[in-house]
Amino acid sequence: MGVESGAIPVKAGRMGSLVSKARAWYSGVPLLGWLLGVLVAVALEHILGRRVARALGMSKEPVLFGFVTMLRDPALLPSAVLYVLLIYLLPIAAVARLTAQLTNRLAATLLSLSSGVSSAVHLGLIYGALHLWSDLSDYRLLLVRLTLIAIMVTLSLNLVNGYMGEFSCSHPGFMALGAYTASVFTVILFVDDRVFGAPLLALPPLLGQFVFPIALILGGVVAALGALLVAVPSFRTRGDYLAIVSLAFMFIVKSLIENLEIVGGPRGLQGQPDWANLPTVFLWAVACIWIINNFVRSTLGKALNAVRDGEMAANAMTVDTRRTKMVAFLFAAFWAGVAGGLFAHVLRYVNPGTFDLKKLAEVLAMVYLGGLNSVMGSIVGAVGFNLLSEALRPLQIIKWMIIPVLLILVMIFRPTGLIAFREFDVQELIRPKGEPQQH
Amino acid sequence: MSKKHTFRLVALLLVGATILGACGPAGPDTIKIGINAPLTGDIPKVGEGTKFAAEMWLADIEAAGGLEVGGKKYNVELVIEDNESKAESATKASTKLITQDEVLIIVGPQSSKQAVPAGGVANDNETPMVSPWSTNPNTTLDRPWVFRSCFLDPFQGPVAANFITEEFGFSKAAVLYDVASDYPKGLAEFFKAAWEDLHGAGSVAAFESFTTGDADFSSQLTNIINSGAEVIFTPQYYNEVALIVQQAHELGWDKPIVGSDSWGSAETVELCGADCYGLFFSTHYAAAGATGATKAFIDRYEAEHGYVPDDVGALTWDTMLIVQEAIQGCGEVSGELEKDRQCVRDALARIKDFDGITGKMTFTEEGDPIKCAVIVRISEAGEFEFYKSACP
Repeated sequence: MGVESGAIPVKAGRMGSLVSKARAWYSGVPLLGWLLGVLVAVALEHILGRRVARALGMSKEPVLFGFVTMLRDPALLPSAVLYVLLIYLLPIAAVARLTAQLTNRLAATLLSLSSGVSSAVHLGLIYGALHLWSDLSDYRLLLVRLTLIAIMVTLSLNLVNGYMGEFSCSHPGFMALGAYTASVFTVILFVDDRVFGAPLLALPPLLGQFVFPIALILGGVVAALGALLVAVPSFRTRGDYLAIVSLAFMFIVKSLIENLEIVGGPRGLQGQPDWANLPTVFLWAVACIWIINNFVRSTLGKALNAVRDGEMAANAMTVDTRRTKMVAFLFAAFWAGVAGGLFAHVLRYVNPGTFDLKKLAEVLAMVYLGGLNSVMGSIVGAVGFNLLSEALRPLQIIKWMIIPVLLILVMIFRPTGLIAFREFDVQELIRPKGEPQQH
Repeated sequence: MSKKHTFRLVALLLVGATILGACGPAGPDTIKIGINAPLTGDIPKVGEGTKFAAEMWLADIEAAGGLEVGGKKYNVELVIEDNESKAESATKASTKLITQDEVLIIVGPQSSKQAVPAGGVANDNETPMVSPWSTNPNTTLDRPWVFRSCFLDPFQGPVAANFITEEFGFSKAAVLYDVASDYPKGLAEFFKAAWEDLHGAGSVAAFESFTTGDADFSSQLTNIINSGAEVIFTPQYYNEVALIVQQAHELGWDKPIVGSDSWGSAETVELCGADCYGLFFSTHYAAAGATGATKAFIDRYEAEHGYVPDDVGALTWDTMLIVQEAIQGCGEVSGELEKDRQCVRDALARIKDFDGITGKMTFTEEGDPIKCAVIVRISEAGEFEFYKSACP
């Protein structure tokens, strides 16, 4: 994969060989090493960030790796780049490389214990990094939580649009069902609300954390029931028809909530308890990724792919196509509902106008940007789209030209998305690297 | 070789850092004011009006050499965030303004669907917020940190009902509204309640609704015409107003149609044309025939941006002046954000008889102003003429 320097003009050749050298140099760093580097960088920002930013002429640590700062005030561009280099890139590169031997040995030890322990340690590092990063301002915290929720929604839609090969448009509807069910549950039971009156169960706030999963699961179940309503009539057909039926379903849900005065109608429902904190959202997102990843790698997941590639052939191969599709669709709707419940509790306000065509376009963009039929793709798509749309916000209307152009470019050069049709193999990710790779 | 390169690079970076460091941070001489406005999305005109009015205010402050608080001049920086006309983006924008940009006070969001959740964020973070345009009671309800500078729907409904009764002497009204949009729906209900208070149950002969995006209102209008109503009240936005009025006239309706402050956009007359001439609506201020400070603002806005400002622009202008008065009323800016925010909030709550271009304002306990509404007539020249004012 290295570039031969001889054949290319000198400058490009030198660059190329530098890149390949760097790549070779870092190929021996395991995921554990990178995560350690990130954790160190984030901790560094925690301790030194403010001082470095001040020294560079910025009033505060730039959020989103300096993008927003640059766009708002181009004069600060060198400072923002320097900041990112000093706080993030250099420490990560240094720590990842210098501890490579140690982290490789550690990764091997952890893996020999059990892959569960190893995964838990990796997740712990990721959580630690996210926690420290988002600790610096509430804005980062909100961003991280909404991005994690976006990952859940994207992944659950990918299940239908990617793994099952149908085109479903009802995900905002499922989210709305989940959001409203979970909100009504928590607001009626635990909040002194103007609409529903005093809480039915006055629990100490600490206990609320333990009841919250019930609300979310309830939201997911209601969303799945809604999915059943779509699935029964529409799974007799394929392709465009499901798209139309599911789109209609989305509008039905929106109108239903708009006309339900008891949950606030178009004015929305507010006052959800503040339970969707970072650990809660993180745990649910991890659970969602883990369960969906296992689902698509199971027999049922493979059957789902078979249905996509040839329903008749799959049927002939004794796959119960109807049941497979039904299970996958309801399963996807369940996670969209859970994500909706979390979404409502992060914003602590929910209105039917949120779950409209714009939301649908956003979710579809994340799925197709990241890549069909791929768990990693969904994560990349959701994170990429969220960060990009947040980073470009200072550009205002131009943002809405850049993002569609990017999507078009992705569609031209990678028609199925950035990381499509690839398995998300946790074992492969967390194994030690560097030694001659034995497979 | 690569090691040498790396060292050179790092050395270069450090030198750069020290040079840049000499520029120094913004310091406590600057007062930051956040603007949370819908610059893109469904209602970009509203965002534009907000931005222009705020920038005009800033230009005034800069011309005066800064904002004088307690004998010291401070620079003012406006941090304008786009909320894309979405609830979640408004929440993000407000959170960013409060915790990242560390603004002293936030102006906006404008629409209630963004102002309600953003108000929650401001209240939780103990940062004062003033929404110029949000008329939903929930925006400020039980939120000591949130204020607004417009009247509320529960006030505007009775104003329209009283005006129709006094002006025309009618006793049967029809209402046509968008059931999916919170503002028209709320106002339609408040109007209905006020009308039935005046004329008894059943006096609202037709209460017809449609959904956002509908363009054909003939069936609802036919129902209204057949119901024997003498007037139509339709609290809709400019694009629907034009369609409703034109279609009503095509169907043979020749009685008055009355609207609300959402009519107050320059686009209304442009889209509706002669069909709208002679109609009345209630709003925050009247552009045509204005005098004094109001006229000065309108003329200046028109000279700078090429069109007569609608109510959002005027309300934002008033809001900026209220914010200015609150900051000045605070006496000093200590640089400690928590203390300053508390001080500005208290100063806001204390404001009495503020003389704005959209009327005199005094805040109630809830942070809502007590102010007069204006009835505007669309003249034969397509201008919004002052007709009369209605005070609480």
